[in-house]
Amino acid sequence: MGLTLLLAGCAKGTERLGSATSSPVKLTVVAAENFWGSIAAQLGGSHVAVTSIISKPDTDPHTYEPTTGDARTVASAKYVIVNGIGYDPWAPKLLAAQPDPGRKVLTVGDLVGVKEGGNPHRWYSPGDVAKVIDQITADYEALDPADAASFAALHTTYTTAGLAQYTSLIADIKARYAGTPVGASESIFAPLSDALGLHLLTPPSFLTAISEGSDPTAADRAAIDAQIKGHQIKVYVFNSQNSTPDVAAQVKEAKDAGIPTTTITETLEPPTSTFQDWQSAQLRSLEAALAGAART
Amino acid sequence: MIPAHWAAQGPGVGLNWNLVQDLRQLFEFHFMVNAFRAGTVVAVAAGLLGWFMVLRAQSFAGHTLAVAGFPGAAGATLVGLNPAWGFFAFCGAGAAIIAAVPRARAGTQGAGFSEESAAIGTVQAVALALGFLFVSLYHGFLNGINALLFGTFLGITDAQVGVLVAVAAVIVLALAIGGRQLLFASVDPDVAEARGVPVVALGVAFLLLLGFAAAEASQITGSLLVFALLVIPAATAQRLTARPAASIALSVVIAVAVTWLGLAAAYYSSYPIGFFVTTFGFAAYTLAQIATHRAGGRQA
Repeated sequence: MGLTLLLAGCAKGTERLGSATSSPVKLTVVAAENFWGSIAAQLGGSHVAVTSIISKPDTDPHTYEPTTGDARTVASAKYVIVNGIGYDPWAPKLLAAQPDPGRKVLTVGDLVGVKEGGNPHRWYSPGDVAKVIDQITADYEALDPADAASFAALHTTYTTAGLAQYTSLIADIKARYAGTPVGASESIFAPLSDALGLHLLTPPSFLTAISEGSDPTAADRAAIDAQIKGHQIKVYVFNSQNSTPDVAAQVKEAKDAGIPTTTITETLEPPTSTFQDWQSAQLRSLEAALAGAART
Repeated sequence: MIPAHWAAQGPGVGLNWNLVQDLRQLFEFHFMVNAFRAGTVVAVAAGLLGWFMVLRAQSFAGHTLAVAGFPGAAGATLVGLNPAWGFFAFCGAGAAIIAAVPRARAGTQGAGFSEESAAIGTVQAVALALGFLFVSLYHGFLNGINALLFGTFLGITDAQVGVLVAVAAVIVLALAIGGRQLLFASVDPDVAEARGVPVVALGVAFLLLLGFAAAEASQITGSLLVFALLVIPAATAQRLTARPAASIALSVVIAVAVTWLGLAAAYYSSYPIGFFVTTFGFAAYTLAQIATHRAGGRQA
């Protein structure tokens, strides 16, 4: 027990090392995933330094385990953006181990009111993305009041110019293809499908099973086979970063049946892309697939 | 000298030849301070209990108790509790079940011994199966399964340190009161029983304490690597000296040392803590074997 006290004493006497010495000091921001990090970086401009923890396409966020480096990154941050809804449970643990009254945490699930067990892929919901954007700017202004005017200007630029193409593609697809029956490989597509007004026919239990990495039921598989073979769905959307044998088999079936397929990914693809460029590219290929289906 | 990826751990962090600065970096963050607090407490408890476990040749029971922590932690996560409670509940329950099986005795070796190890093996299989079931039942994203099995030191809160300290205090207090009798009962149960030592009751109490120690160690090394702290330091210490007091003290010192070294190594690299603690322990054990073998050779 004496050792414990000794260790505690060491810690209290230790000054913070390695913090930025340049002035003005940038706000250190950490996002659990790079899609939120990309938005946070663009909203903060030169006043923030953003680090995203999950930033590689070959990392599966569902099974991610943080490294010591991640723990250090989170521990040094003044603003942390976490997805929540059970998507990144390691993040609150790292935060709990490093109490910091000066730190602000944005949990997307709490902000948009989705509880654990709900669909965690909120960055595929344009409405929720807008809420997150507003909250990040509000938090930046609270954490760094001196640069509030700059943050407000960056917010306007991002929501009008930055997201222009993303917003217009969504409006365009909704106007032309609302009500079109589509199939998907997992629940990641569900929020976007809702926003686009598409009719997602795939059983929700299958979408959730693939997304969570559990085994889909035989009944669901049979239902999807019937949807594909009967041409009930016009387009099949699958997550290329989470392609299980079940999904691969369905993609093949859809291609054999002449149903256009298109991909979406869990995280930024390519990883150097921005949120809006990544989403816009996916929306364009979805639009092309829908157009192809409409011609046949 | 140092591989590039050892040093590339973020801003201002990395090993250099300035030992003072390295040590300061190690305690820069509160999560590392908590890791050292928790690791120290766990190592003391495991070093103490492990010494008696090795003496009593109950390593298999100890391993099974540790494995019982896996379904405990997975089950606790499933129902939304802190995994620490699951570790303690299941390790305690496992100890109670194993204690119900008649203990093998010198002289009655035949049937008694095989029955005991078979029963312990059965408990272990059921524990692993239950853990797998709980993991499958947990809808949602169960990450951290590697951490349950192979250990983690990230994300230890002040409250968790408090729980570890309280349980370790119970273990130390119990050994302070009953350690001498337990030693007697472990070395020569028949004579001890004849002298009025409650051998059976002590055995049951020991298993319960061992369950708690395994639960503590599981939270740092994971369920599968508990032996890194429960067996290796004790086996090394018993190899080096036969005097009980010195041997127990040495076991605790080795357990604490490999934990501290493991934490430091895991902090400066991106490799898991369980690997480092086990490897440092193995190195100590190997050195002790070589040293005593040489010494023994000269005497003979």
